[in-house]
Amino acid sequence: MENAKRLYEAVLEGDAKTARSVTEAALAAGVDPQKLVTEQMIPAMDEAGRRFECNEFFVPELLVSARAMKAALELIRPLLAARGAQPAGRVVIGTVKGDLHDIGKNLVAAMLEGGGFEVIDLGVDVSPERFVATAREKEAHLIALSALLTTTMPSMQATVEALQRAGLRERFKVMIGGAPITQKYADEIGADGYSENAAGAVALARRLSAPM
Amino acid sequence: MNSRERFFAMLDGRPVDSLVLMPITMMYAADQAGVRYGDYAADHRVLVEAQIVTAEKFDLDYVSCISDPGREAADCGAVVKFFPDQPPAIDEQQARLADKIELARLRAPDPLGGGRMHDRVRAAALFKERVGYSKVIEGWVEGPCAEAADLRGINSLMMDFIDDPAFVQDLFAFVIEMELRFARAQIEAGADIIGVGDAAASLVGPRIYEEIVWPWEKRLVDGLHALGARVRLHICGNTSRILDGMGKLGCAIVDLDLASMADGRAKMGPDQILLGNIHPVHVVKNGTPEAVTAAIAACHRECAPRFIVGAGCEVPRGTPAENMMALTRYAREHRP
Repeated sequence: MENAKRLYEAVLEGDAKTARSVTEAALAAGVDPQKLVTEQMIPAMDEAGRRFECNEFFVPELLVSARAMKAALELIRPLLAARGAQPAGRVVIGTVKGDLHDIGKNLVAAMLEGGGFEVIDLGVDVSPERFVATAREKEAHLIALSALLTTTMPSMQATVEALQRAGLRERFKVMIGGAPITQKYADEIGADGYSENAAGAVALARRLSAPM
Repeated sequence: MNSRERFFAMLDGRPVDSLVLMPITMMYAADQAGVRYGDYAADHRVLVEAQIVTAEKFDLDYVSCISDPGREAADCGAVVKFFPDQPPAIDEQQARLADKIELARLRAPDPLGGGRMHDRVRAAALFKERVGYSKVIEGWVEGPCAEAADLRGINSLMMDFIDDPAFVQDLFAFVIEMELRFARAQIEAGADIIGVGDAAASLVGPRIYEEIVWPWEKRLVDGLHALGARVRLHICGNTSRILDGMGKLGCAIVDLDLASMADGRAKMGPDQILLGNIHPVHVVKNGTPEAVTAAIAACHRECAPRFIVGAGCEVPRGTPAENMMALTRYAREHRP
């Protein structure tokens, strides 16, 4: 596991090349891929999130950590899928219709992935219908909506309403975030949760996807 | 005193009859004039009319050419998506410098070449004609970090800071040359001050800001001073960790968004004019007139006397008129 410890460091330092090579070596040596995720990668991204919240990490550092984690995860994910391992939850995420701003959404997606969630990232300018259809198709647990503009906030409400119209509102939890978003707005549109930042979004997603 | 007299007296430290009032209005201004934002961003005549309507209605001391950060990038050939009633946005999936090699081929556009930059220059000229003797005219350029993000894609730029800082330096050099040419054209057309928007700078930490971003912001500000302009710096977001550097740029006015005004005053010293910074959504849009008055009074107490009334960032669409009037009343009923 000494090698595996280097995976933790590589993810935290944002060194994708090392993260990948250490993962390859660990897998070749017979290390359990699930252990690489739960004992190295998730703690590394949790630590990156903690540093982000404490103003020790900023967006560049968080993005390169996420990239390193993804490099390792690309090797591990097929192995986990083959043995039927379940993620912490499945999240469909995107920036809502009319909005092309994605850095906040990308940070949340990276932190969720680092937190053990399977993330289906629909990108930007995503219609309510596409959120609903993808969540249904992928059997997601959560739908995460991002908006930077006050003008595109109504697309969040439209997505909640599209879920209601499809009779699926109880099936998926909806979490929202973005610069103009407030808890009050989340309550007004009937979202299940709001987070002010990317690290908080992981805690929120864990809470929302926990069995009742 | 009219708005121009008040503003320049304030900048020069002379007595004024009331506080200066300079909240950023864009979509809010379009709504005041009953025009769609897509038209506001595309046609300087619509922008100028809406700015004047808004400035007169709320007794603002200035009018501004600002509309969206995509003008320079559009003229550089970036793919910009336009919407009927919201700001144009750059399509990062097709970023102009998705391939870094493209930087070597990129040529700074002519700000008088008939593109989106030229439309802004025309706005400055029309403002001069319409309100040049009563209101302050603000031109606008992007700062190095914001413009580089528009050209390269913000996600890529953030990682470039760590992966390839030499490329970032080259990109910033290109940006500064382009922005100074753009600013010169706006100043020659009639702009009194130049606003520098460097939104993405709040996303990097103090180390990257000081080592890579700040030196280029400084070159831009020095270049603007050499052109004879006063400079207003606006960095959206939480700038708490980079306040020291922002204060050392030598800008006439520094806006604060999500940072403490008291902290700004402590870090930047008593002479720096600070503008802001009540929360645009929580207070300006969602609060009551009483809450607006209380919040701006707190900012005033923390910053007096070198203080300008404004929100932390753009006044959001949907802000009640009575909340804007509360800002206006506070400014007019108080002195620095």
